[in-house]
Amino acid sequence: MISNTTSHVLIRRLQTISAIDEQDISTIRSLPIDLKTYAPGQYIVRDGERPTACCLLAEGFCIRSKNTFEGRRQILSIHIPGEIPDLQSLYLHVLDHDLVTLTECRLGFIPHAALKVLVRQRPNVVEVLWRDTLIDAAMFREWIVNVGQRPAASRLAHIVVELRERLKVIGREQGDRVEMPLTQEQIGEAMGITPIHANRIIKQLREDGVLEFHRGHVTVLDEAKLEELAHFDDRYLHLSPSQ
Amino acid sequence: MPRYHFHIRENGRLIRDEEGQEFQDREEVRKEAVETGASIARDAFMSGSARVVVVDVQRDEQTCLKVSISLSVEE
Repeated sequence: MISNTTSHVLIRRLQTISAIDEQDISTIRSLPIDLKTYAPGQYIVRDGERPTACCLLAEGFCIRSKNTFEGRRQILSIHIPGEIPDLQSLYLHVLDHDLVTLTECRLGFIPHAALKVLVRQRPNVVEVLWRDTLIDAAMFREWIVNVGQRPAASRLAHIVVELRERLKVIGREQGDRVEMPLTQEQIGEAMGITPIHANRIIKQLREDGVLEFHRGHVTVLDEAKLEELAHFDDRYLHLSPSQ
Repeated sequence: MPRYHFHIRENGRLIRDEEGQEFQDREEVRKEAVETGASIARDAFMSGSARVVVVDVQRDEQTCLKVSISLSVEE
Protein backbone atom coordinates (compact mmCIF):
# COMPACT_ATOMS: atom_id res chain seq x y z
CA MET A 1 0.00 0.00 0.00
CA ILE A 2 1.17 3.52 -0.75
CA SER A 3 1.91 5.35 2.49
CA ASN A 4 0.48 8.82 3.05
CA THR A 5 3.85 10.50 2.73
CA THR A 6 4.57 8.79 -0.59
CA SER A 7 1.14 9.42 -2.10
CA HIS A 8 0.91 12.98 -0.75
CA VAL A 9 2.78 14.61 -3.67
CA LEU A 10 1.01 12.46 -6.29
CA ILE A 11 -2.45 13.18 -4.89
CA ARG A 12 -1.67 16.87 -4.49
CA ARG A 13 -0.63 17.12 -8.12
CA LEU A 14 -3.57 15.09 -9.42
CA GLN A 15 -5.95 17.24 -7.35
CA THR A 16 -4.47 20.39 -8.88
CA ILE A 17 -4.90 19.25 -12.47
CA SER A 18 -8.16 17.31 -12.14
CA ALA A 19 -11.36 16.81 -10.18
CA ILE A 20 -10.35 13.63 -8.39
CA ASP A 21 -12.66 12.47 -5.54
CA GLU A 22 -12.09 10.85 -2.15
CA GLN A 23 -12.90 7.38 -3.37
CA ASP A 24 -10.38 7.68 -6.23
CA ILE A 25 -7.77 8.86 -3.75
CA SER A 26 -8.33 5.90 -1.46
CA THR A 27 -8.15 3.51 -4.44
CA ILE A 28 -4.84 5.05 -5.52
CA ARG A 29 -3.58 4.77 -1.92
CA SER A 30 -4.49 1.08 -1.86
CA LEU A 31 -2.16 0.29 -4.81
CA PRO A 32 0.72 -2.06 -4.03
CA ILE A 33 4.05 -0.21 -4.15
CA ASP A 34 7.65 -1.23 -3.81
CA LEU A 35 9.78 1.65 -2.48
CA LYS A 36 13.45 1.82 -3.46
CA THR A 37 16.23 4.37 -3.14
CA TYR A 38 18.33 5.16 -6.20
CA ALA A 39 21.68 6.98 -6.30
CA PRO A 40 22.18 10.05 -8.52
CA GLY A 41 22.87 9.27 -12.20
CA GLN A 42 21.36 5.79 -12.05
CA TYR A 43 19.18 4.38 -14.83
CA ILE A 44 15.64 3.60 -13.68
CA VAL A 45 14.61 2.15 -17.03
CA ARG A 46 16.68 2.02 -20.19
CA ASP A 47 15.73 2.58 -23.82
CA GLY A 48 14.59 -0.77 -25.23
CA GLU A 49 13.63 -2.37 -21.92
CA ARG A 50 10.24 -3.86 -21.05
CA PRO A 51 9.30 -2.60 -17.60
CA THR A 52 6.63 -4.45 -15.63
CA ALA A 53 5.96 -1.57 -13.24
CA CYS A 54 5.55 2.20 -13.40
CA CYS A 55 7.55 4.35 -11.04
CA LEU A 56 6.16 7.08 -8.85
CA LEU A 57 8.82 9.65 -8.05
CA ALA A 58 8.31 10.14 -4.30
CA GLU A 59 11.42 12.21 -3.65
CA GLY A 60 14.21 13.61 -5.83
CA PHE A 61 14.55 14.59 -9.47
CA CYS A 62 14.96 12.53 -12.62
CA ILE A 63 15.09 13.07 -16.37
CA ARG A 64 13.94 11.40 -19.54
CA SER A 65 16.65 11.40 -22.21
CA LYS A 66 17.61 9.86 -25.50
CA ASN A 67 21.01 9.29 -27.11
CA THR A 68 21.88 9.82 -30.75
CA PHE A 69 23.75 7.15 -32.69
CA GLU A 70 26.97 9.14 -32.04
CA GLY A 71 26.28 9.00 -28.30
CA ARG A 72 25.15 12.57 -27.73
CA ARG A 73 22.47 12.85 -25.10
CA GLN A 74 19.39 15.03 -25.39
CA ILE A 75 17.53 15.64 -22.12
CA LEU A 76 13.82 15.57 -22.98
CA SER A 77 12.15 16.41 -19.69
CA ILE A 78 12.83 16.99 -16.01
CA HIS A 79 10.65 15.22 -13.43
CA ILE A 80 9.77 16.30 -9.93
CA PRO A 81 8.21 14.46 -6.97
CA GLY A 82 4.61 13.34 -7.47
CA GLU A 83 5.08 12.44 -11.14
CA ILE A 84 4.98 9.03 -12.82
CA PRO A 85 7.46 9.64 -15.66
CA ASP A 86 7.11 6.19 -17.23
CA LEU A 87 3.33 5.89 -17.04
CA GLN A 88 3.35 5.28 -20.80
CA SER A 89 5.02 1.89 -20.24
CA LEU A 90 1.62 0.63 -19.10
CA TYR A 91 0.51 0.55 -22.75
CA LEU A 92 3.72 1.14 -24.75
CA HIS A 93 5.55 -2.00 -23.73
CA VAL A 94 9.09 -1.28 -24.91
CA LEU A 95 10.51 1.97 -23.57
CA ASP A 96 11.72 4.33 -26.34
CA HIS A 97 13.99 6.50 -24.15
CA ASP A 98 15.97 6.38 -20.90
CA LEU A 99 14.72 7.36 -17.47
CA VAL A 100 17.63 8.43 -15.26
CA THR A 101 17.93 9.87 -11.73
CA LEU A 102 19.56 13.30 -11.33
CA THR A 103 19.67 13.34 -7.53
CA GLU A 104 19.15 10.61 -4.95
CA CYS A 105 15.57 9.44 -5.51
CA ARG A 106 12.92 7.57 -3.56
CA LEU A 107 10.99 5.64 -6.16
CA GLY A 108 7.77 3.72 -5.68
CA PHE A 109 7.29 0.94 -8.22
CA ILE A 110 3.64 0.14 -8.92
CA PRO A 111 3.12 -3.11 -10.88
CA HIS A 112 1.42 -2.73 -14.28
CA ALA A 113 -0.99 -5.51 -13.31
CA ALA A 114 -2.31 -3.49 -10.35
CA LEU A 115 -2.61 -0.31 -12.43
CA LYS A 116 -4.53 -2.21 -15.11
CA VAL A 117 -7.00 -3.46 -12.51
CA LEU A 118 -7.34 0.10 -11.20
CA VAL A 119 -8.09 1.63 -14.61
CA ARG A 120 -10.67 -1.06 -15.38
CA GLN A 121 -12.47 -0.44 -12.09
CA ARG A 122 -12.36 3.34 -11.88
CA PRO A 123 -13.15 5.34 -15.02
CA ASN A 124 -12.55 8.56 -13.10
CA VAL A 125 -8.93 7.55 -12.49
CA VAL A 126 -8.56 6.75 -16.19
CA GLU A 127 -9.61 10.31 -17.01
CA VAL A 128 -7.15 11.71 -14.50
CA LEU A 129 -4.25 9.64 -15.83
CA TRP A 130 -5.23 10.38 -19.42
CA ARG A 131 -5.30 14.10 -18.65
CA ASP A 132 -1.91 13.73 -16.97
CA THR A 133 -0.52 12.07 -20.13
CA LEU A 134 -1.93 14.88 -22.30
CA ILE A 135 -0.29 17.50 -20.08
CA ASP A 136 2.94 15.52 -20.42
CA ALA A 137 2.60 15.87 -24.20
CA ALA A 138 1.80 19.60 -23.88
CA MET A 139 5.02 20.03 -21.93
CA PHE A 140 6.96 18.27 -24.69
CA ARG A 141 5.47 20.68 -27.26
CA GLU A 142 6.66 23.59 -25.15
CA TRP A 143 10.10 21.96 -24.81
CA ILE A 144 10.34 21.73 -28.63
CA VAL A 145 9.44 25.42 -29.02
CA ASN A 146 11.96 26.24 -26.34
CA VAL A 147 14.85 24.27 -27.80
CA GLY A 148 14.03 25.07 -31.42
CA GLN A 149 13.11 28.74 -31.33
CA ARG A 150 14.15 30.65 -28.22
CA PRO A 151 17.62 32.21 -27.86
CA ALA A 152 19.76 30.28 -25.35
CA ALA A 153 19.40 32.69 -22.41
CA SER A 154 15.58 32.73 -22.76
CA ARG A 155 15.61 28.95 -23.10
CA LEU A 156 17.34 28.52 -19.76
CA ALA A 157 15.17 31.18 -18.10
CA HIS A 158 12.10 29.32 -19.35
CA ILE A 159 13.30 25.99 -17.94
CA VAL A 160 13.89 27.62 -14.53
CA VAL A 161 10.49 29.34 -14.42
CA GLU A 162 8.68 26.17 -15.52
CA LEU A 163 10.45 24.17 -12.81
CA ARG A 164 9.49 26.78 -10.21
CA GLU A 165 5.82 26.77 -11.23
CA ARG A 166 5.64 22.96 -11.13
CA LEU A 167 7.39 22.82 -7.74
CA LYS A 168 4.85 25.34 -6.39
CA VAL A 169 2.07 22.85 -7.10
CA ILE A 170 3.61 20.33 -4.71
CA GLY A 171 4.32 23.00 -2.08
CA ARG A 172 8.04 23.40 -2.71
CA GLU A 173 8.30 27.11 -3.42
CA GLN A 174 11.27 28.70 -1.66
CA GLY A 175 10.95 32.46 -2.19
CA ASP A 176 13.64 33.67 -4.58
CA ARG A 177 15.28 30.22 -4.62
CA VAL A 178 14.37 27.55 -7.15
CA GLU A 179 15.56 23.96 -6.83
CA MET A 180 17.65 23.29 -9.93
CA PRO A 181 19.07 19.77 -10.09
CA LEU A 182 20.90 20.12 -13.45
CA THR A 183 24.67 20.57 -13.66
CA GLN A 184 26.23 22.85 -16.27
CA GLU A 185 26.79 19.88 -18.57
CA GLN A 186 23.19 18.70 -18.12
CA ILE A 187 21.89 22.22 -18.81
CA GLY A 188 23.75 21.94 -22.12
CA GLU A 189 22.17 18.56 -22.81
CA ALA A 190 18.71 19.94 -22.04
CA MET A 191 19.15 22.96 -24.30
CA GLY A 192 21.01 21.20 -27.11
CA ILE A 193 24.21 23.21 -26.67
CA THR A 194 27.76 22.37 -25.58
CA PRO A 195 28.77 22.69 -21.87
CA ILE A 196 30.93 25.73 -22.72
CA HIS A 197 27.99 27.49 -24.33
CA ALA A 198 25.90 26.61 -21.25
CA ASN A 199 28.65 28.10 -19.07
CA ARG A 200 28.54 31.32 -21.10
CA ILE A 201 24.76 31.59 -20.70
CA ILE A 202 24.99 30.95 -16.95
CA LYS A 203 27.63 33.70 -16.62
CA GLN A 204 25.65 36.07 -18.83
CA LEU A 205 22.50 35.60 -16.73
CA ARG A 206 24.46 36.41 -13.58
CA GLU A 207 26.19 39.46 -15.12
CA ASP A 208 22.86 40.73 -16.38
CA GLY A 209 21.45 40.38 -12.86
CA VAL A 210 18.77 37.81 -13.77
CA LEU A 211 19.71 34.45 -12.24
CA GLU A 212 22.57 33.09 -10.17
CA PHE A 213 23.28 29.36 -10.43
CA HIS A 214 24.54 27.33 -7.48
CA ARG A 215 24.92 23.61 -6.93
CA GLY A 216 21.36 22.30 -6.69
CA HIS A 217 19.54 25.61 -6.86
CA VAL A 218 19.17 28.94 -8.64
CA THR A 219 18.62 32.35 -7.04
CA VAL A 220 16.33 34.78 -8.81
CA LEU A 221 18.14 38.13 -8.78
CA ASP A 222 15.46 40.10 -10.59
CA GLU A 223 11.95 38.74 -11.07
CA ALA A 224 10.92 41.34 -13.68
CA LYS A 225 14.01 40.65 -15.81
CA LEU A 226 13.45 36.90 -15.51
CA GLU A 227 9.83 37.18 -16.67
CA GLU A 228 10.81 39.43 -19.54
CA LEU A 229 13.42 36.93 -20.70
CA ALA A 230 11.41 33.72 -20.23
CA HIS A 231 8.08 34.97 -21.67
CA PHE A 232 6.53 32.21 -19.63
CA ASP A 233 2.84 31.46 -20.03
CA ASP A 234 1.67 28.62 -17.77
CA ARG A 235 -1.34 27.78 -19.96
CA TYR A 236 0.35 24.61 -21.27
CA LEU A 237 0.71 23.23 -17.74
CA HIS A 238 -3.12 23.17 -17.36
CA LEU A 239 -2.85 23.75 -13.64
CA SER A 240 -6.56 23.73 -12.87
CA PRO A 241 -9.28 21.21 -13.81
CA SER A 242 -11.13 23.94 -15.74
CA GLN A 243 -8.10 24.77 -17.88
CA MET B 1 43.42 12.08 -20.57
CA PRO B 2 44.55 15.63 -21.30
CA ARG B 3 42.39 18.52 -20.07
CA TYR B 4 41.40 21.32 -22.40
CA HIS B 5 40.01 24.74 -21.50
CA PHE B 6 37.73 26.51 -23.95
CA HIS B 7 38.02 30.26 -23.42
CA ILE B 8 35.54 32.40 -25.33
CA ARG B 9 36.18 35.86 -26.74
CA GLU B 10 33.29 37.92 -28.04
CA ASN B 11 34.26 41.33 -29.44
CA GLY B 12 37.31 41.23 -27.17
CA ARG B 13 35.33 40.28 -24.02
CA LEU B 14 36.77 37.14 -22.43
CA ILE B 15 34.77 34.36 -20.77
CA ARG B 16 37.17 31.95 -19.13
CA ASP B 17 36.53 28.23 -18.84
CA GLU B 18 37.96 27.47 -15.43
CA GLU B 19 36.74 23.87 -15.25
CA GLY B 20 37.94 22.45 -18.58
CA GLN B 21 37.04 19.10 -20.09
CA GLU B 22 38.93 15.93 -20.86
CA PHE B 23 39.13 14.61 -24.41
CA GLN B 24 40.51 11.43 -25.86
CA ASP B 25 41.82 12.90 -29.11
CA ARG B 26 42.39 16.15 -30.94
CA GLU B 27 39.64 15.52 -33.47
CA GLU B 28 37.07 15.54 -30.65
CA VAL B 29 38.55 18.79 -29.32
CA ARG B 30 38.26 20.37 -32.76
CA LYS B 31 34.64 19.25 -33.14
CA GLU B 32 33.69 20.57 -29.70
CA ALA B 33 35.41 23.91 -30.38
CA VAL B 34 33.71 24.39 -33.76
CA GLU B 35 30.31 23.41 -32.41
CA THR B 36 30.68 25.67 -29.37
CA GLY B 37 31.82 28.59 -31.53
CA ALA B 38 29.01 28.13 -34.06
CA SER B 39 26.37 27.81 -31.37
CA ILE B 40 27.57 30.90 -29.44
CA ALA B 41 27.96 32.84 -32.70
CA ARG B 42 24.35 32.10 -33.60
CA ASP B 43 23.21 33.63 -30.30
CA ALA B 44 25.61 36.57 -30.40
CA PHE B 45 24.97 37.42 -34.07
CA MET B 46 21.19 37.19 -33.74
CA SER B 47 21.10 39.39 -30.63
CA GLY B 48 23.70 41.76 -32.09
CA SER B 49 25.93 41.45 -29.02
CA ALA B 50 29.06 40.57 -31.04
CA ARG B 51 30.31 40.24 -34.61
CA VAL B 52 33.30 38.04 -33.83
CA VAL B 53 33.39 34.92 -31.67
CA VAL B 54 36.69 33.21 -30.90
CA VAL B 55 37.11 29.88 -29.12
CA ASP B 56 40.62 29.77 -27.71
CA VAL B 57 41.36 26.19 -26.69
CA GLN B 58 44.19 25.84 -24.22
CA ARG B 59 46.08 22.88 -22.85
CA ASP B 60 48.50 23.55 -19.99
CA GLU B 61 47.78 27.28 -20.44
CA GLN B 62 49.04 27.19 -24.03
CA THR B 63 46.75 27.80 -27.00
CA CYS B 64 46.58 24.62 -29.05
CA LEU B 65 43.64 25.47 -31.29
CA LYS B 66 41.71 28.60 -32.18
CA VAL B 67 38.35 28.82 -33.92
CA SER B 68 37.26 32.26 -35.17
CA ILE B 69 33.79 32.95 -36.50
CA SER B 70 32.88 36.37 -37.80
CA LEU B 71 29.77 37.95 -39.22
CA SER B 72 29.83 40.01 -42.34
CA VAL B 73 26.68 41.32 -43.96
CA GLU B 74 26.79 43.09 -47.31
CA GLU B 75 23.84 45.20 -48.35
